[in-house]
Parts: sequence; C-alpha cells; structure tokens
Amino acid sequence: MSDLFSKNYFEIFELPVGFELDLAQLSAVYRELQKEIHPDRFVSAGDQQSRLAVQMASLVNQAYDTLKSPVSRAHYLLKLGGLDIDHEQDTTMDPMFLMEQIELREEIESLRLQSDALAETDRLLSRVKGLMAAVMNDFAQAYQQQLFDKAHELSRKMQFLNKNIQELNDIAVAIEDELLG
Amino acid sequence: MALLQIAEPGQSTAPHQHRLAVGIDLGTTNSLVASVRSGKATTLTDDNGDSILPSVVHYAADQTIQVGRTAQALAVTDPHNTIVSVKRLMGRASKDLKTLAEHIPYQFNNDNPALPRIKTTAGEVSAVEVSAEILKQLKIRAENTLGGELSGAVITVPAYFDDAQRQATKDAARLAGLDVLRLLNEPTAAAVAYGLDSGEEGVVVIYDLGGGTFDVSILRLNKGVFEVLSTGGDSALGGDDFDLAIAEWLVAEAGVTELNASLNRQIINEARRVKEALTDADSVTVSLLLGEKNWAIELTKDKFNQLIDALVSKTLASCRRALRDAAIDKSDIKNIVMVGGSTRVPVVRDRVAEFFNKQPLVEIDPDKVVAIGAALQADILAGNNQGGELLLLDVLPLSLGIETMGGLSEKIIHRNTPIPVARAQDFTTYKDGQTALAVHVVQGERELVADCRSLARFELRGIPPMVAGAARIRVTYQVDADGLLSVSSLEESSGVEAKVSVKPSYGLSDNEIEQMLRDSMNHAHDDMEARKLREEQVEADRVLEAIDAALLADGDRLLENDEKSLIEQSRAALSALRQSGTAEQIKQAVKTLEKTCEGYIARRMNQSIHDAMAGHKIDEYTTNKDSK
Repeated sequence: MSDLFSKNYFEIFELPVGFELDLAQLSAVYRELQKEIHPDRFVSAGDQQSRLAVQMASLVNQAYDTLKSPVSRAHYLLKLGGLDIDHEQDTTMDPMFLMEQIELREEIESLRLQSDALAETDRLLSRVKGLMAAVMNDFAQAYQQQLFDKAHELSRKMQFLNKNIQELNDIAVAIEDELLG
Repeated sequence: MALLQIAEPGQSTAPHQHRLAVGIDLGTTNSLVASVRSGKATTLTDDNGDSILPSVVHYAADQTIQVGRTAQALAVTDPHNTIVSVKRLMGRASKDLKTLAEHIPYQFNNDNPALPRIKTTAGEVSAVEVSAEILKQLKIRAENTLGGELSGAVITVPAYFDDAQRQATKDAARLAGLDVLRLLNEPTAAAVAYGLDSGEEGVVVIYDLGGGTFDVSILRLNKGVFEVLSTGGDSALGGDDFDLAIAEWLVAEAGVTELNASLNRQIINEARRVKEALTDADSVTVSLLLGEKNWAIELTKDKFNQLIDALVSKTLASCRRALRDAAIDKSDIKNIVMVGGSTRVPVVRDRVAEFFNKQPLVEIDPDKVVAIGAALQADILAGNNQGGELLLLDVLPLSLGIETMGGLSEKIIHRNTPIPVARAQDFTTYKDGQTALAVHVVQGERELVADCRSLARFELRGIPPMVAGAARIRVTYQVDADGLLSVSSLEESSGVEAKVSVKPSYGLSDNEIEQMLRDSMNHAHDDMEARKLREEQVEADRVLEAIDAALLADGDRLLENDEKSLIEQSRAALSALRQSGTAEQIKQAVKTLEKTCEGYIARRMNQSIHDAMAGHKIDEYTTNKDSK
C-alpha cells in the first residue's frame, strides 16, 4: 500500500493520467476520500492525528482543485511531463493568437458603453468559451501525442482565455448590480 | 477514541459512552442552544420555556452581569451599559468601528486599537468577553437541562466571517469554558437541519438574513456529503438595518433634532416592533414618547417595503454573485432554504421567490434551524452517531493574500477553495547576509492591502546568512476545517527551520486569554493546578482508549513485533502516570506515546483510504450523474 503523500494527483483519485477525465468519478472519489480523512472524523483523536488528517485532507483538496479546472489540470500535466513551467522564460506566442487577444481586449473594454451591455457580455462570454473549448481539444491531442512544447503553448492560450472569461464574468456581475440595484 | 472512527462502518470498536454535546447559534440579536436527545434535535429552553436568549448583556456598577431578557429590559434606561448586537463588534479593530460608530451608543477605549474595549460602569469589556457571557448562560442552561458537564459544542458563525471574527468567536467560547468541536458556517448548519430530515440530494441555496449579517451559500448534497460550492454575503447587513431604515424615517417624520442614546434606543425598539407587526398587518401605528408628548404616525406595508427595498436588492446581488462563482444556473437549483428571523418579512420571501423562480422552504422555524443543524453536527463530532455518514466540506470565504511591493495584495489562496487547505510559497533574501524577513498576511478580495483586513505580520528570523537570493524560504499557510489560518516556514537550502513569530493584528494572545480566565468570576475560586491536572488526565484517558481500540482492531496486522512492544511500553508508562503523575508528567507521557505511534497512525489512515477505495469499482463512480 503506497502512501497518500507519495502519489501524484491522478493516482490519488485512481484516474489515468491525461487531460480528458471523468469529472463524475473525480468528485465521487473526492467525497469518498474526504469521508475517510476529513479532520471532522478525528475531532477527539488528539493533536497528532488531527494534524495528520488536516494535512491529508489539504492534499486531497489541493489535488481535487487542481484537476477540477481544465486550466490548472493542463498546467499540472505539463509539470508531470517534466516541464519547469513555474519558472519559464520563453513567453513567445502565436502572433495570430495575440492579435485575437488584442481585439478581444478592445471588445471587452467597450462592452460597458453598449446599449445592451448585459446581453453583449453574455454573447462575448459564450464566444470566448467556444474558443476555450477548441484550445482544450487541441491540448488534449497534443498532450496525448506527447508534443509537450505545443501543449505548453496551448496551455498558455488557455490561461489567456480563462482570464478573459473571469473578466467577462466580473463585468456581467457589475452590470447586473447596476441594473438591478 | 476517534482513532477508531476509521473502523469499518457498523463495526463497534469500543463501548461508547454518550457524550453531552450541543449546537450553539451565537446570533447578533438572539442566541440558542440545541442538543440531540433520543435521536431528535431540539432547542433547549430556559425556566420560562423560552428557546431564545436575546444576545444582550447588561453590566451594573455592583459588578452583577445580566444576560438575555432581563438585560434587554434595561437597554432603554441604561443604554451605555447594555451591550446589544455585540456580534457586530467581534474581531473588529478600532478603525472598523468608525463606520458603525454613529449607530453604537458605547464609548470605547482604543488604547489597543486591535482590541477596542467598551467602557461600562463595571469596567471595560471586549466584544469577546461580552460574547463569552452569552455563551456561559447557554452552557449553564444546557448543563441543567441535560444533567451533566458538556464535552463539547459546535458554534455557528456566518459563512462570510473572516479569520479575525472566527478567532474572536473561538476565544469567547474558550473564555466561557466550552470545548469547541467545530466552528460551523450558519448556512451549512441550516442545510444539515433540512437535509437530514428529508434525505435531500441536489443543489440547494441557503438564504440567511439574520439580525446583523447576510449570508448566501450554494451547496451540493450527495450521499451524506455537503459540499459548499460558493458563499457570499455581507457581514454588516441584516434585520437591524431594516430597523435603522424605519428609525431614520421616524426621526425625519417626527422632526427629532436632538437624539440622545435613550431616545435612540426607544426609537429603534419601536422600529423593531413595527417591523415585526407588519409581517401580518398591512399598516401599523408607530408611537413615540417625545419629552412629555405622545407622538404617533401610521406606517404602511408598502412604505416599509420601499424603505428596505435597496437593502433587499443588495442581498439578491450577493445571490447572483454566488451563483456565478459556483457556475450554477438558477434552473439547477432544487431548493432554497430560508434562515434567520429577518426572512419572516414578507417582501423578503416574495423577492427571493421571484428571483429564483421557486418558493423557498420555510418549514423549520428560521430562528431555530441553525441551532438544530449545529446540534446534529455536534452529535456526530462527539461520536454519538457513529453510523452517521454526514460530512460537511466547507470553503474559504475570503481570499488570503500577502502584501507585495507597492501595498498590493497578492492572493495566495482564493476564496471558495475547499478547506482545509495548505499553500506553500517560496521567498528569498534580497541582501547579502540577511537573516530576517517580514511578511504581512491579509484577507479580502480588494487589490490594495489597505482595503483588506490585516490578519497577521510574521517575522521570519534565524535565516542562515547567505548571499542575496541564495536562501530559499518556504512559507506554508495552513487553513484548518474551522477556516482558521496558521503559518510555518522552513529555510530549504540549509534545512533550518526559520522561526515564525506570529503577531496577530487583532484579537487576543493565549496569555491574555489565560489572564482573563484567571480574572473572570467563574474561575476565581478554581485551583488552576488542579484544573490542569484534570485536563491532562482526561486527555490521557482519551489517548489510552484510542490506542487500545486501535491495537485490538489491527495492531497485529499493521505492526511488527518490536514496534508493538515499544508502543505497549509507552502505553504502560502513560497508564501508570495517569494514576499518580503530575500534569506535566502526564503531558510528556502522552507526547511520548503519540511519538511512538506516529508511523502506526499514518499507516492506519492510509489503510483506511485503501480499504475505502478497494470496496468500490470504477463503474460505481461513473454512474453518478449528479456531479458536474
């Protein structure tokens, strides 16, 4: 029996290493694991065991959080593949993609001036989500073919698009607040 | 004994003694205590049959302290010495009070800006001490009703409470002599109260509008696991603000120009009465005694709805945000649970129903639902309900960050991250031979440190002198299941553990709490030494019971012979000292035994994970369609 702390995040959930994953299984195993190790199970067990439970539950939460979101999952896969992406120097990007980003930024900035700002925001949001889905698909393929450099660039694109999505969500919330008081 | 909770379900491990555990809803306006008795959670009442204890404390010049209705009666005549809505002051520093100050009749001593003290005729008191008085009262009530000493309590806090407010609540409990099993988020407690009764599965929204706080939480219920998907709200918005809205309108209508504390209290009490009356009536007569004259005016429900319209809208804006954070669509929501006395206001119910396009659940008394949920959780945590599959997975309500150059906050752990959680961060030195480093931890969503709450300043000392940039200091931030932060650090290149001196920016140090315990009336006659000994003996019993049951269950399977005999030696040593040793000796023996068992315990926990996973096939998991 191997130790929880020596497993990678996929092993913790008994999932095959790969970008495409069964989210239903992920959360089912997550709940199953937490039932065993959550600190609430060890409230009166003394300091030592409570501490261990906190550490184990933190690890499982961290693993769950990382795998749940496609962006952090991709990032993690590249790390498992041996890429030192936390200290990367090379930040060259596909010029076409950068152009697209510049245009997107301009669109995002002008959103609030539109007459139907909320609907426009939602429209743009679903367009960006479409772009994201396509990039995710490419990433999955690149990773499977072990084209790590290509996968790396795609993962950076995912980060850009993810930021766009977050920003659009924030704008939508702000517009709703203004509209609805 | 909980060492044993990892035994197979249904397999009794050791004869279990029922432990008296309670759930406490420490509210802004009212507080309640509940417990599970013969399998059913009920609120406990006072001698008059009242469940509700008004969260009001009165301090008299002769040092007598009154809590509850008797104190409430004194609020009008003696406003400066009658502390109401103290929850709003919990974990607040002097500068936070300025925004509340115009509505608070108290005078503060701000000598320690992190812990403002309220001036009363009986002396100065902190919000923590006032809350402790309320908790003591509930503790006495519970012990009288249940007929024994409490082994522990679950205390509820608004999900939106930050670290300082949670810590203050825990401090208050400690001061009241309560062992806190868990700080539980109020909305989660409410979901437990509803969820257990109906065996509900699906996504649920908890809309909790109390006296002083608003919380919204989105939870997913699945096979006994409550997973918090997102939380939001406003820690300074509640039914008290409805009262204030009416009061401000009254002041304007009556043309009151000089408002003293006593008149202010009279107006606010009248506003509250009128608000409550408007739940059933369409129009209510408001009357005030202004000097000699009796002044009256009519307040219609429509006008009242208009007065509080903006406040209700603010709660719905928080709901929208929480839905977005959880990535949940309104149509995915199975139920809306209403919590808090302020959800009795009809316009609140109507607008919530309109917003979610679904009638909210109101079957359980909104004043009692939180305490009932807390009692159910307390029962499980105390180990009384071993078959209970219930598990509550909470999230961090507000992001944790550290101050970076230019006074900006860099987020380390984002809000809505499941807890417990740990994050590590690497620092280095920027000068040759630098041996110390200062870190400032803040909590909040804003960019500027100045707009966030300062939690603590850490100084990392004892870094071995090296050239600039060579040291690699790993700082680990650990948030426990209560949502409380602790920090540790390690210099990695040399393996030296840099000392972290934690200086909380708020609240009480352990020494201050000890001092207060010593000072407080309740413990003045206690022999501190005897108390300490008793505590260590109880701890020793707990550890002995746990280790015996563990050894019985799988000692032979998981331990080599020599490991087992080492453990048995330490066990025997502790057992002997338990009878005749001093507090310090017992403490050391417990430590030694725990140290000996370290590897064994880790093996047991890994084994239990292994067993849990082995009991299932992959197909079982994939048939769950409810997860996203």
